[in-house]
Amino acid sequence: MASALRAAILGHVRVPVVSSGSKLLTPLWIRSMSSHDDHLEKSQVIDRVLDIVKSFPKVDPSKVTSEVHFQKDLGLDSLDNVEIIMAIEEEFKLEIPDKEADKIDSCALAIEYVYNHPMAS
Amino acid sequence: MSGAASYLARRAAQKERVRILYRRALKDTLNWAVHRHLFYPDADALRERFDANKNVEDIETIDRMIADGEAQHNKWRHPDPYIVPWAPGGSKFTRNPTPPSGIEIVYDYGREDH
Repeated sequence: MASALRAAILGHVRVPVVSSGSKLLTPLWIRSMSSHDDHLEKSQVIDRVLDIVKSFPKVDPSKVTSEVHFQKDLGLDSLDNVEIIMAIEEEFKLEIPDKEADKIDSCALAIEYVYNHPMAS
Repeated sequence: MSGAASYLARRAAQKERVRILYRRALKDTLNWAVHRHLFYPDADALRERFDANKNVEDIETIDRMIADGEAQHNKWRHPDPYIVPWAPGGSKFTRNPTPPSGIEIVYDYGREDH
């Protein structure tokens, strides 16, 4: 009985459709409630990458700046390069494809890569 | 001389293969030895094995050593490696793709049963 009454009332009440023509200023590709909302500042990225390089045992910490080339300036091996990149992957929870990881040769490249990676956190 | 150029190209390709092999071997070492206090000695041992052959000059020997190394690595690959969740092979990969644009949801507010 109550359900018939409810149905009759609902049949009469119309909820107006509000077309929100005002698209808020957020662009389409920003999903406001997505669970990934880590946007790193460039200074944070630089600090963390430099900390990783400085704490590498074969590196002299005083020589590390953000423009340093691993093999030329710091005198590291190519295998040391691989180790540093693995440490960076672990720090920022990234997965860098093998070919791209091979090309990261200096601090500047590493910082650029991490900063531009959408999933770095 | 094209001989020198092709030799250098071959050596460069070999060096890249060695680097990628070292990278994968290191990741597998981390996968097998999950705890860091076990991983560090294992990683050192792996590095020793790579360093022992550092000064080999003969290009054919290097090729054979790389093939050997890759075969050994294949044998010892971890069956369930840790992959970052959003990467291909991880648990979150393509879990929530962005919905295609232009789709709206029409809310009926109780009129569905009419």
